[in-house]
Amino acid sequence: MSAPKTVPKDAQVMIQILKDMGITEYEPRVINQMLEFTYRYVTTIIEDAKIYATHAKKSTVDADDIKLAIQCRMDQSFTSPPPRDFLLEVARQKNQTPLPLIKPYTGPRLPPDRYCLTAPNYRLKSVQKKVSSSAGRISVPRLSVGAVSSRPSTPTLGTPSVQSVGSKVGAPVSLTGQRFTVQIPPPQTATSKTAVPSTPAVPNVLINPSLIGSKNILITANMVSQNSAAESLKRKHEDEDDYDAL
Amino acid sequence: MAAVQGGLIDTEEEKDIKTEPSSDGCGNNNANDGRLHNASPGTTSSGGSNKPAAGAAEDQQTLLAVLQFLKKNKLTESVEILRREAGLSEETDDPKGLESSGAGSGGVGGNADAGSGDANSLLSRVSVSSSAVSASAAPAPPKAVVAEDQPDVNVVLSAYSQQGDPALYDVYYSGLKRFIETVLDCHRAELSQVFYPLFVHMYLELVYNNHENVAKAFFEKFSGDQECYYEDDLRILSGLSKKEHMRGNETLLDFRTSKFVLRISRDSYQLLKRHLQERQNNQIWNIIQEHLYIDIFDGMPRSKSQIDAMSGSLAGEAKREANKAKVFYGLLKEPEIEVPLDDEDEEAENEEGKPKKKKPKKDSMGSKSKKQDPNAPSQTRIPLPELKDSDKLDKIMYMKEATKKIRLGPETLPSICFYSFLNAYQGLTAVDFTDDSSLIAGGFADSTVRVWSVTPKKLRKVKSAADLSLIDKESDDVLERIMDEKTASESKILYGHSGPVYGISFSPDRNYLLSSSEDGTVRLWSLQTYSCLVGYKGHNYPVWDTQFSPHGYYFISGGHDRVARLWATDHYQPLRMFAGHLADITCTRFHPNSNYVATGSSDRTIRLWDVLTGNCVRIFTGHKGPIHALAFSPNGKFLASGATDGRVLLWDIGHGLMIGELKGHTDTIYSLKFSRDGEILASGSMDNTVRLWDALKAFDDLETDDFTAATGHIHLPENSQELLLGTYLSKSTPVVHLHFTRRNLLLAAGAYNP
Repeated sequence: MSAPKTVPKDAQVMIQILKDMGITEYEPRVINQMLEFTYRYVTTIIEDAKIYATHAKKSTVDADDIKLAIQCRMDQSFTSPPPRDFLLEVARQKNQTPLPLIKPYTGPRLPPDRYCLTAPNYRLKSVQKKVSSSAGRISVPRLSVGAVSSRPSTPTLGTPSVQSVGSKVGAPVSLTGQRFTVQIPPPQTATSKTAVPSTPAVPNVLINPSLIGSKNILITANMVSQNSAAESLKRKHEDEDDYDAL
Repeated sequence: MAAVQGGLIDTEEEKDIKTEPSSDGCGNNNANDGRLHNASPGTTSSGGSNKPAAGAAEDQQTLLAVLQFLKKNKLTESVEILRREAGLSEETDDPKGLESSGAGSGGVGGNADAGSGDANSLLSRVSVSSSAVSASAAPAPPKAVVAEDQPDVNVVLSAYSQQGDPALYDVYYSGLKRFIETVLDCHRAELSQVFYPLFVHMYLELVYNNHENVAKAFFEKFSGDQECYYEDDLRILSGLSKKEHMRGNETLLDFRTSKFVLRISRDSYQLLKRHLQERQNNQIWNIIQEHLYIDIFDGMPRSKSQIDAMSGSLAGEAKREANKAKVFYGLLKEPEIEVPLDDEDEEAENEEGKPKKKKPKKDSMGSKSKKQDPNAPSQTRIPLPELKDSDKLDKIMYMKEATKKIRLGPETLPSICFYSFLNAYQGLTAVDFTDDSSLIAGGFADSTVRVWSVTPKKLRKVKSAADLSLIDKESDDVLERIMDEKTASESKILYGHSGPVYGISFSPDRNYLLSSSEDGTVRLWSLQTYSCLVGYKGHNYPVWDTQFSPHGYYFISGGHDRVARLWATDHYQPLRMFAGHLADITCTRFHPNSNYVATGSSDRTIRLWDVLTGNCVRIFTGHKGPIHALAFSPNGKFLASGATDGRVLLWDIGHGLMIGELKGHTDTIYSLKFSRDGEILASGSMDNTVRLWDALKAFDDLETDDFTAATGHIHLPENSQELLLGTYLSKSTPVVHLHFTRRNLLLAAGAYNP
């Protein structure tokens, strides 16, 4: 290559900022990360400001628009924890209730099922056709949304693509009875990187919320094991009939 | 004394005759009451009278604001009518002219005091100036009106009162500095404590009221004078030059609204007060009264070193009352379990207490004292899970191991076994060992949790439900049969979090593992199926630490939202919330009796909370950096803490005092552990060393006589060198976790960082 590279001006500015803030030791990657963040933040703000300006029928973006954009973004992405007096008040209320007594001999002490992540995340359909689940093809026919108290025609989750189970479904999936056969790729170790929240608001899957209502949907990305036979449930003593009934 | 609207004017005249001393009988706090009702000695009592007074003042100010507004818009007739009806006299509607520095008579001092009165910090932030003005207008000749940036209506509506001309803050501060330099040596150290909080509050006030240039100049001139241990805070402040910068910073906002606590002896305080009540120093006096809480004690003034030892926290020191509550620091009685003399396990399954043929050894822990230890909580103070058979077996194993425990001391130091995590690429963020040292868990920045087996025994998952139905449930080794041999491996990886895992804790019965992460959840994993059971949501911000209670069932978590929560495994919401810290909670530990929780925070204080009531029973200040390590001594009486300043501080929980300081480390201390009997304290730090300290000796030379307990004076012996028993260097591996095995072998863990 040519002569020693000079650090670009932006990076020099960033180095200076870090120095001013008293940060003396940092990895070289930090500068890149900071620059990227700066660029992304500034462009987001300016784009927002442009939208606000056009909304206000102004021809140019001015300082007020920028201020508004910053404020809105701040409330959205850079939230801060609640203020102290609010916390003190909430804590005071919470601490008034006495500690609950502990029931003896109840096995594993866990919250009610709907708050746990212990429900199975798949259900096998009974094999009617000839078993073509030959070697190499993992046959988990149906990935059902594992509501614990699910009824037979539970909405099922289908993804058109094989690759990523968590892909965004473009149009709202109509869930009232469509069943897709899902072919799950062989379990990889990195499958469960996605978060496993037990709330309806799962980031990677678009479900029509109105159909779900208040049912607690548990969607886990944990993939199946190789065995296509009846599979393990997490809780040994749980009544398995709930899940098999169709 | 209820404030009467019209009556306000009348009491003013009397007020300036009244001299200052009446209003501040006990501590600065009562300056609030100096309001417009100085005439009544009853106002020296704080609290109640404040509220109605404050309400009246606010109304008064609103009235004045309205008056002014009408005047501005030339609605003179309305002005007249309003004045007549509200009973305001002609001269009282001058809202400008907050006390200027050179104003008037001693009466003005009283006014100033009255004016600052309603700054009951958390509740009423209404501008003080207007009420003060209305008060002072009557007796004093028209004062020099200082041109303010925010005249008239805005003054009332601004949330932060303007105490004087911003350009003169410089003068006030220098004046105070000069005064303190001329004071007697013995008082100077104590009075110098005032500098830092005053500086910060004045600066924040200037910033908040948009006097940016003045603020910058003020900062540049005086920031160099502050103590060195406030350097980090000052750097943060220097980057804060606009009001908008303060908006998202909760810590700063809390700092502004809470009072900085100073402990000053009565003599020094008298000196200070006398000086500040001179006419030209009213401004500083107001500011001090508004933002500082001066906890007065009778006795000798403290020396600089004593003060330095205790200061450093974000909110000053702790008031004496905060550390007065009774703390049950004793241990719970151990249940009596028969220990068979021979090694047969079957015999251990007998019920406790049943006499056996072979005269088994009684459990030495429980039966010594039949009487209740007065310092120990009762068994039923908080509900604790009862012991299951497996727990009893565990306890028996524990006692057997305890007999083989090596007694440690300055002569017999423990051997240290270091577990280095290789190829972690600086991703290791948390480590924990089980109590019997059979498993290690590591939390990583890639959001995984990995569990390793320390012993040759491999980790196995429980069989699937179908297979379980096939095994013979009556066989003796059913516990082995339920394990699936096909899944045996040295380590297991647990996936589930979506952010780096910052806290890890095994349950005492080795069935569960807790992990807390930057994604705001705490997850409970089963160590029998190696899968996630529950995700506890509550913190919406990173959770920096979590720990299971020594009795199982309860656990605590603390994080960025400045609140520590107590959970039980079978409740999806927390049972207790411990709120009070000013900054993130970085470390949470249970007391050995599970009745108290200690939390260390970035605001450089440690608080001890009562699980039963949720109250804060102790506040320990003295560290100069965020606290990252806490350890209770096995007897429950003492607490050791380590922070980024490299010092280990020792605290007596019962008295609420600092009893020792261990200097030696040069970098942040991330782990502290007492040996099984409390003879040795091991500390591990980022400077790649493990140091062993003689804990017995450190706690031995305690002389907490009444004087010390009453005033909180501490005399820390400079004996760090004698207490240091050994320093052990690792090869560029910061020590993240320490653990004493049941036989007093020290295990250490860290990630190799070349």
